[in-house]
Amino acid sequence: MRRRLCSLPGALLALLAASASASSQAAAEPKPATPPTASLFPKIEGWRISDGPTRYTPETLFEYIDGGADLFLQFDFQDLACATYVKDGVDRDKNRRSARASQDGDRSRAAAGAEITVDIYHHRDAMRAFGIYTQERPTGTTPLPIGIEGYAGQDYLEFVVGPYYVKLVQSGGRETSFLRLFADKVAAGLPGTREAPAILKCFPDRGKRARAEKLAARDFLGHPFLHDAVAVPYQINGANLRLFAVEGKDSADVRAMVKRYRAAGKSPGAEADSAGSEGSATVKDPLNGEVVLRWKGRWLWGVVDQPCTECKALLDELGLSLSVFDR
Amino acid sequence: MSNTKSLERRDVLRLGVGGLAAGALSAGCATVASSQEKKTLAPETAPQPKQAPATAPAAAKTAGPPRRVLGRTGIEVPIVSMGVMNADNPNLVRAALDGGIFLLDTAHGYQEGRNEEMLGTVLPDRKRDSFVLATKVHLSTLDRKTGLFSKETRGEEIGEKLDISLKRLGLDHVDILHLHNQSARESVLYEPVLKALEKAKRDGKTRFIGLSTHKNEPEVIRAAVEAKLYDVVLTSYNFRQDHHLQVQKAVAEAALAGLGIVAMKTQAGIYWDKEKQSPINMKAALKWALRDPNVHTAIPGFTTLDQLQTDLEVLRDPTLTDDEKRSLEAPKLAGFFCQGCDQCLDPCLQKLPIPELMRSFMYAHAYRNREAAQALLLELELPESPCDDCGECPVRCAKGFDVRERVRDIVRLREVPREFLV
Repeated sequence: MRRRLCSLPGALLALLAASASASSQAAAEPKPATPPTASLFPKIEGWRISDGPTRYTPETLFEYIDGGADLFLQFDFQDLACATYVKDGVDRDKNRRSARASQDGDRSRAAAGAEITVDIYHHRDAMRAFGIYTQERPTGTTPLPIGIEGYAGQDYLEFVVGPYYVKLVQSGGRETSFLRLFADKVAAGLPGTREAPAILKCFPDRGKRARAEKLAARDFLGHPFLHDAVAVPYQINGANLRLFAVEGKDSADVRAMVKRYRAAGKSPGAEADSAGSEGSATVKDPLNGEVVLRWKGRWLWGVVDQPCTECKALLDELGLSLSVFDR
Repeated sequence: MSNTKSLERRDVLRLGVGGLAAGALSAGCATVASSQEKKTLAPETAPQPKQAPATAPAAAKTAGPPRRVLGRTGIEVPIVSMGVMNADNPNLVRAALDGGIFLLDTAHGYQEGRNEEMLGTVLPDRKRDSFVLATKVHLSTLDRKTGLFSKETRGEEIGEKLDISLKRLGLDHVDILHLHNQSARESVLYEPVLKALEKAKRDGKTRFIGLSTHKNEPEVIRAAVEAKLYDVVLTSYNFRQDHHLQVQKAVAEAALAGLGIVAMKTQAGIYWDKEKQSPINMKAALKWALRDPNVHTAIPGFTTLDQLQTDLEVLRDPTLTDDEKRSLEAPKLAGFFCQGCDQCLDPCLQKLPIPELMRSFMYAHAYRNREAAQALLLELELPESPCDDCGECPVRCAKGFDVRERVRDIVRLREVPREFLV
């Protein structure tokens, strides 16, 4: 391993150091205290809360977002606080009529302007909040530097900070977007990290599709025994593939995953050390085709979709980064 | 999920994904399947249509797993379909389609559109008549508390969202367009919305119109019949609903009127208890809903190959065995989850915020998150010793919670220093 480490380019070594540093920072970061509901919604000059704050629990979330609630529950949703702001002195019903006038092109009546709804989803930790964010993030959007990351459309803005996934929707008054103003104010009052999960730094840069990673809390690749996974899409030499890393509770957990995966797929036999704590295998996954696996300690990593000749080097680099990350 | 008998994992491996299809399709000829349905699916309590809807074709006669006719749409659907909602793996959808589960249910809003996009990587490669695609649109002006549309509702929003959905799906039309999440008769009959739905159908962007409901289902289902526009109803339907007999009756009326009935939430959660120690027999729960012949198909959500296998087994043989029936009668636990019906509020002499207190109790004892429980408690304006000054507690919880006992238990958490909570 030491010999292999020495042959790595300097940039990767720097990355490994950063990963290790980020890992230790993540471990040391205290869990932020949960602020009271009212304090989640900042006072914004010229605006007032016209509706809410309203809280939803894991049991009532479906009343707010229907069947979409299930995915949030997978990522250990704790509660949702939502509120709607309108401009001072504006009756909400009148404002809605004005917003409608704006949509119809009657700008003279659209002076009352926007109404902003703020939904703050609280998850168990920052990793899970980022996870649900990646599940819903569209491709091809420009990242916004709010909290860990955000993006916006014409009438919405979403971002994630610490254990909070925040969605803002503006209706009416589209001539002026107030979304960024609100987002910055809301983000400022939320505790928790402003850094993306450090494990993302473990994935090699070359060929990586930017901001396309996805986190899965469970049922990764359609298998119930694969949990807590990060998958990152790559495009290399015309091949589209995903590198992934699955974090086990410990090495026994990872060995159990490997055993089940090899039983589920046609594995021609795995190269593994005598204890089975480190090894590699190729699985003929009945759902996903050929999957190349590596494992060591509490990490299982691999490549799926279109494994290519370049994959071995990528897997080596990812494995090395994870081994440092693990310390 | 592991109690697969007839389709062992080694068979899946031997046959591959194509083998799933072969296994499902070789389950028996149509004659056997349909006679078995008649024998085993006779409802014990559900009223049945006295006659088949005039527009419905004869029962499915094609070979393969049991199918039922989806009301006046005339579409023969497999009795088990796929709720795609949480699936993000296109290969799982392909496996389901290959296995004979060809009705797929998604929604404009699931994963903020990513769910439809995922289907868009699968469906355009398939023959258009080889699958049935249902999606749902939600109107932003629907008040979730009242279930009513505001006066500013624009029916055009339906067409705008449907266009986006079609683009994501890579299709020029869907088979069923549902009005999402209806809970009030007035909204089901709201004219601007009906006109917009009608227009979508007239424009060829959807073949049929439906609605979905998981609250006040009987009222909504009857309104769907009354509207004479809807072809399909997608409704919550499970053995744990307190009002399942009312839902069953409304479903029978709708089926009699020619509506196609799709059941959702058939599995009623994953566990009986909030400690997540006692799993519900998912297979039995799905079969329970399918016993009702007025339920034409169900859309269990699945995200794993194992779950797909289980659903394929039910698709092949929906017979609810005695053991399975007994498993659904199992523990009647009061549980932890307050439904928020608020019927406790008036009788409480101290005017305590009981639903919030029950939630705090749940945080502490079900989720073992005492920090969240305490944070919630501290937000509430509570007397120093709630419940101590009352004689007999007049509160009768609809879910059977011992409210007084739980309140006394949980309020003690206020005094615990935060550093001792972890």
